[in-house]
Amino acid sequence: MAKGASQEAEEGGEFADFLADVSKEIAQRVESLDKRATPAAAPAAAEKKRTPIAGDQGVIVEWPNIADRMIEEMR
Amino acid sequence: MSVVNYGTREITCKIVYYGPGRSGKTTNLQHVFSQLPDERKGKMVSLATDTDRTLFFDFLPLDLGTISGFATRFQLYTVPGQVYYAATRKLVLQGVDGVVFVADSQSRQRAENIESLQDLHANLADEGLDPRSVPLVMQYNKRDLPPSELSTVEEMDEVLNFRGVPHFSAAAAVGGKGVFETLRSISTLVLARLSAPATRES
Repeated sequence: MAKGASQEAEEGGEFADFLADVSKEIAQRVESLDKRATPAAAPAAAEKKRTPIAGDQGVIVEWPNIADRMIEEMR
Repeated sequence: MSVVNYGTREITCKIVYYGPGRSGKTTNLQHVFSQLPDERKGKMVSLATDTDRTLFFDFLPLDLGTISGFATRFQLYTVPGQVYYAATRKLVLQGVDGVVFVADSQSRQRAENIESLQDLHANLADEGLDPRSVPLVMQYNKRDLPPSELSTVEEMDEVLNFRGVPHFSAAAAVGGKGVFETLRSISTLVLARLSAPATRES
């Protein structure tokens, strides 16, 4: 080793550096796993299923009436 | 073997040092062991013959303590490099999370390096693991020998490192040079898979 091999061995310097790096890596991974575990997708799903607003162009607003008409025509 | 177990809040990583006989696998573990502070020094299990060749395998448990709420353990293994210990190598590879391939940089060991790498690929495939995706790091050991006896790093890369994985060309495990750099690199690769969809849990 280039410098202070015996001193590093006494202090566990190389191991300490390794442990610090691994701890940092694990902390990042755990954080990312925790984020994935929380229902982050819920707002998107809610957005998709939202009730159409009258002001939206081309949006059908009267769902019950449309359904009735479709059933009627199928008869 | 699980990489991360959310239920028990444990992270366990099994890292195997693979390579031809006398390439320096055991020396890597011995250096790691020598650097451990006393309170973390467990037992390094090593079965060596009179000629210092690994008879069965070496095992070094590294208890890293609780990190981010997870009890974290690394288990370092070596395999016996000699050709006739094929069954033991297969056994040690079971449940592996990452591999350090320790190659001997001496030119005359080129064929042995290739044979050992092919053996590794075959055994990983037998384990149902894709040799192209298992976390792997190359360590070109014994770079401290006279240059006339060594293959160049480029030659080593061309022959062994077709995946283009991280390599550590300055490694001379006897002096400890490159040992922790290699361990840090494979650890990072293994831990990076914690967030991958294919993360195994038990």
